[in-house]
Amino acid sequence: MACISLPKPPITSLPTQNHRNPSPYALPISSKSSESQFYGIKLSTTAAFSTAPSSCPHIARRGLIVAKVSKGSSPPSFTLKDQDGKSVSLSKFKGKPVVVYFYPADETPGCTKQACAFRDSYEKFKKAGAEVIGISGDDTASHKAFVKKYRLPFTLLSDEGNKVRKDWGVPSDLFGTLPGRQTYVLDKKGVVQLIYNNQFQPEKHIDETLKLLQSL
Amino acid sequence: MAVLQQRWDPLSRTTRFHTFACRPRRIFAAVTPTTRTTTTSRPDRNLVVVEPRLPSSSSTPSSVARRKTEIDPSELESTWAHRAWVTAGCTTLFVSLGKALLGSFQSHIWVEPSLAALLGYFLADLGSGVYHWGIDNYGGAETPFFGGQIAAFQGHHRFPWTITRRQFANNLHALARAVAFSVLPLDLWNADPVVHAFACAFAGCIMFSQQFHAWAHDNKTRLPRAVVALQDAGVLVSRAQHAAHHRAPYSNNYCIVSGAWNRFLDENKVLEAMEMVIFFRFGTRPRSWSEPGSSWAEEIQTSRADTEHLQAS
Repeated sequence: MACISLPKPPITSLPTQNHRNPSPYALPISSKSSESQFYGIKLSTTAAFSTAPSSCPHIARRGLIVAKVSKGSSPPSFTLKDQDGKSVSLSKFKGKPVVVYFYPADETPGCTKQACAFRDSYEKFKKAGAEVIGISGDDTASHKAFVKKYRLPFTLLSDEGNKVRKDWGVPSDLFGTLPGRQTYVLDKKGVVQLIYNNQFQPEKHIDETLKLLQSL
Repeated sequence: MAVLQQRWDPLSRTTRFHTFACRPRRIFAAVTPTTRTTTTSRPDRNLVVVEPRLPSSSSTPSSVARRKTEIDPSELESTWAHRAWVTAGCTTLFVSLGKALLGSFQSHIWVEPSLAALLGYFLADLGSGVYHWGIDNYGGAETPFFGGQIAAFQGHHRFPWTITRRQFANNLHALARAVAFSVLPLDLWNADPVVHAFACAFAGCIMFSQQFHAWAHDNKTRLPRAVVALQDAGVLVSRAQHAAHHRAPYSNNYCIVSGAWNRFLDENKVLEAMEMVIFFRFGTRPRSWSEPGSSWAEEIQTSRADTEHLQAS
């Protein structure tokens, strides 16, 4: 289903859960996943996930939330800070394939495995001419430490407040308790060619994205 | 220093005394500082360098190796309070078992109580895993009610072998107390044989899980044959399965009754999912995510007999 009915209050009031939540990783994520599964795999092959045109990124009407990014669409652009505090825009990567992976948080077991798997296959991504970008709600200092500790050769962006995550419609997992782990592959024109969601098999993101990149 | 050791072995029905005439020789070994992140393909090792899991700067492996940590032998001995609690726990279990048998005999119903008992045994393994996971990862010695157990399990990760030296009542008294308080109301106010069969099997397995745990740490040659056979058959948690729990990343094989749930919980990452939910909900990181500092370094104390034990196993 592309549309998910939310109980009131609607999206704008959801972040109020933060006051009960001491975690810096509190989830203001509004889209409940009907496709993301606990142990599952979601390969988006149709545009059924979204009915919204990419030119209309903010849709939250009458409590309905529409996932914005689907295969064949152009995702909303963003400008976020990288691990060094420099602003990075998605548009900067136009002209080459880009792998954008959203992950829950730095220094958690699955995310560390995923980041290290991207790192270990980084040469293959470079050979395919692709850039790898990781996005989570952690701050730049956390990203910097994460990059340094695991020698990550790619960019991590800070999406504090999870705005980009929401804009892209990344579904959450386990009944909204976990930020989703979703990877997008954009082609040279910036059009989404693959959406892959799998929370608990993080290494599979690398296999799937490489498979797609090699076929581009 | 001579240490008089009492080993109570319920299956062999003997009480053995071991006297260590010489001071135990100690071997200190930090658990191998490996990475917690492993991936299957690493095409370019020059590019990817993973920082090893070293203990904190103030506690390098050599300093861990140098550190002399004494274990007070009296900590491993049973007190009269321990024995009293184990007696209380066993008494409530026997009453429950008696009610289950008597109720079954009077009502001529045997299938349901038997299935209930099997279910109790099966779920006790899951319960032991969830409980073990909880106290391994959250809270501390100061945590109300569970603090003692948490501290004991933390100590157990540093000195796993001591559980085999812990006297029977010392090892079981905490769970026996919980069982006594939980089963007593049932003993007093319930007469359903099915309920008692379930409760008796579940609570009994939970209470004796620490004994099963101790056996999982012991040398095959020192265990009664019946125990080894039960371990090999998967009725009790096996030594190999539990040994994996004491290796990095210290986040699997938590179940200590039969170990039947370990594979399911680990392969489906159920406990990892629970850790993630707790982290995002409360901001609390489980201990198993953190770098193993000196508190995670296993220090192996061994006497000559222990050295042989280690070589044999």
